[in-house]
Amino acid sequence: MSEDLESKLREAMRPVAPRRELTDALISRLTEGRDGQEASSAAAPPVTRVTPARRLQRPVWWLPVGLAASLLLAVGIQSLHEHDQREKGLEARRQVFEALRVTNQKLDLVYRAVHDESKS
Amino acid sequence: MSRVTAFFVAALLWSVAAHAAPDARLVLPDFAGLEKKATDSVAITLDSSLLQLASGFMNSSDPKDAATQQIIKGLRGIYVRSFTFDHDFVYQASDIEAVRKQLEAPGWNRLVQTRSKKTHEDVDIYIMVENQQAIGLALISSEPRELTIVNIVGAIDLDKLRKLEGQFGVPKLDLDSASAVGGDKQH
Repeated sequence: MSEDLESKLREAMRPVAPRRELTDALISRLTEGRDGQEASSAAAPPVTRVTPARRLQRPVWWLPVGLAASLLLAVGIQSLHEHDQREKGLEARRQVFEALRVTNQKLDLVYRAVHDESKS
Repeated sequence: MSRVTAFFVAALLWSVAAHAAPDARLVLPDFAGLEKKATDSVAITLDSSLLQLASGFMNSSDPKDAATQQIIKGLRGIYVRSFTFDHDFVYQASDIEAVRKQLEAPGWNRLVQTRSKKTHEDVDIYIMVENQQAIGLALISSEPRELTIVNIVGAIDLDKLRKLEGQFGVPKLDLDSASAVGGDKQH
């Protein structure tokens, strides 16, 4: 029984040469596939590999942007400083006038007292 | 004596002389207690750098600004403390005793003193003179509801100060006549 099964398996798994039609069909399919790939690669733009050296030569967008941002920041800080100085200066000017006004107001008291004394 | 030693001795003497020179800057008390009681208070502290800054923001073509610039040109400081109260005599004489004590120091001379029994408006003006040039002015004005202390430090040109009078709506004051009367003036 087992010998019968074994002989059947051997019979089924023995190497058999492919038929001529199958070989022709496979060869023709492979040929068609290669032609198609070549046609599509001819239509697409060539893919260039970027080497590290070429990457350095490429224009860096962040450099002018960074410079512009730094310039803007410097101008902003300077503007703030000038505004602060202007506020301080105007406040000091106001205080000078206020101080002289108070001083003159008190000197006026003396003036009136001296004036009244000289009249009496 | 070598030149180096002479230089150091001269520098030392100059330093001692500079420190011995009278300083017209008064040490004004905190007045925190008065500030709490006051309905209105003015505290102005202008040192030389702030005066210089203020001068830079004045218009030379404006007569008031130009006159003020001339006055503050030689000044090293302006200090004002003024308090207004809603009741009579809220402050005590002891509140300004510390200031009066400083004005008893050598260098200060009382220029004018006015006492009004009617209105109780008392004003004392002191001046510090060096080489016939006023280098400091102190003013203490006490009224029933107002106390004002002014301290001006630096080369004060009284003529220029007098010219400025009237620009703030204050009539002209003849300081020369006041001092000629004999300084202390009471009525």
